[in-house]
Amino acid sequence: MRLFKLTLSTIFRRKSWAICVLLVLVFPFILPHLSSGTENPTLFEPALAQAAWGMAWLSTIFWGFFAAAKAGETNARSGLGEYFQTTGVSASRQLLQIWAAVMTFVAPLGLGAALVCILAASPSLPDERSMWIATNLQYALLFALVVAPLAALAIAVASRFSSLTGFLISAGLSIYGLYGVGYMKMLLSIESSPLMTWLWSVSPHYHFADPTERLRYKLGAIDASQFPLLLAYFLGILLLYIAISRLLFQTKARA
Amino acid sequence: MSDGTPHLKLSSGLTIGYQEPLAKTEDSITLDPGTHFLIARNGRGKTTLLRTIARSLKQLGGSVEAHGRLQYVPEDLRFDEEIPVASIFKAMIPAGRLSAAKELAERIELDCKKSYGKLSTGNRRKTSLIVAEYSLDPTVSNILLLDEPFSGLDAHARAAFENIWKLSADKTLRLVSCHPDYDSMAMPSALLIQDGTIQHTRDNAQTWSQLKSQLN
Repeated sequence: MRLFKLTLSTIFRRKSWAICVLLVLVFPFILPHLSSGTENPTLFEPALAQAAWGMAWLSTIFWGFFAAAKAGETNARSGLGEYFQTTGVSASRQLLQIWAAVMTFVAPLGLGAALVCILAASPSLPDERSMWIATNLQYALLFALVVAPLAALAIAVASRFSSLTGFLISAGLSIYGLYGVGYMKMLLSIESSPLMTWLWSVSPHYHFADPTERLRYKLGAIDASQFPLLLAYFLGILLLYIAISRLLFQTKARA
Repeated sequence: MSDGTPHLKLSSGLTIGYQEPLAKTEDSITLDPGTHFLIARNGRGKTTLLRTIARSLKQLGGSVEAHGRLQYVPEDLRFDEEIPVASIFKAMIPAGRLSAAKELAERIELDCKKSYGKLSTGNRRKTSLIVAEYSLDPTVSNILLLDEPFSGLDAHARAAFENIWKLSADKTLRLVSCHPDYDSMAMPSALLIQDGTIQHTRDNAQTWSQLKSQLN
């Protein structure tokens, strides 16, 4: 676990994680004051929830995936990957250890957003509150399932190409899956095309893991019959990305 | 595999290189515990041989047998610029050996509080060497492959490491590539790469001064 500890310590020392903690735990209380959330008191809590999850996604996409890509590139180019490999730490174990260190910082961002929503924006009615808690916990799990394989992909792509490429691919995929897929569906409703329909169907539908709409309109937790299907969908993507990541990951830069 | 004493066996006909052969052994070479130096002029294959032994690079022919827990420390091994030396040690060195590592760092004037990015070349080298030395597992046999560990190192630090090497010579095999900067440096066992051939030369009275005249 030496590579895990080294990567963990490196990310911790860079200190940029502190900005993400601030974004997720403090900004949700400030942002609603800058919006129309304060004009109508009933809007404040949904605005806070939206801000908390928005900040968690923003931090993960722009910091988490960058940190992952940087770690992957550094491992391959600094001689550390080669050093660990000669001591018997295989490429798979190196990828796993770097990924685990990155996820130690990234996964709590979703949990932090859920906690902000639960502790500061829960509805007062007991039934609604329990539904609110369940919704947030469901989405904390989906958040982790979505970002985990994207972090692995950022590490692997960066180890082979560069940290910029690794970051752009994971950030691009997540932004496309969260927002782009919705625009594509809108385009399809205007003009149908078999190619676009196929592209839409094979796209990663990360918007299913974004709780902001559901929390804003208090739509309640994801139905018990639907939630396992969502888990299976994201687990499928996770397995696919992990396989691709392992194929791409390299412990030393090519000479 | 790593029980007993460490040894390295390079078969006869071991050919190293990337696409083209760079050097080969004519006879098989066996290295026993202790320190062995690897010397050659630039570009003759020192790093290539170390990487081949470390299984980081495939040999073009022949075979390498390594009995012991391997560690290859590349010449350009580096850590993140922001991370302090103390944190590197904490992450890389087993807890039980950490204080000994810090004591050595203090002895050779390596400031553990400084971030890695602020260290001089020599102090960066000291960091890698301490990590390698204190990552050795004293309960098993070890093989340590060091690529140019002395470059940038002052004489005081070099003497400290050479002393450590003497003390653990029975359980550890070290193969050290280097360009010594003083002629009287003793090299009782050395691998020489010259004219595309890897040779092993052994003589207790052998020094760098005698060996360097053989290099071309």
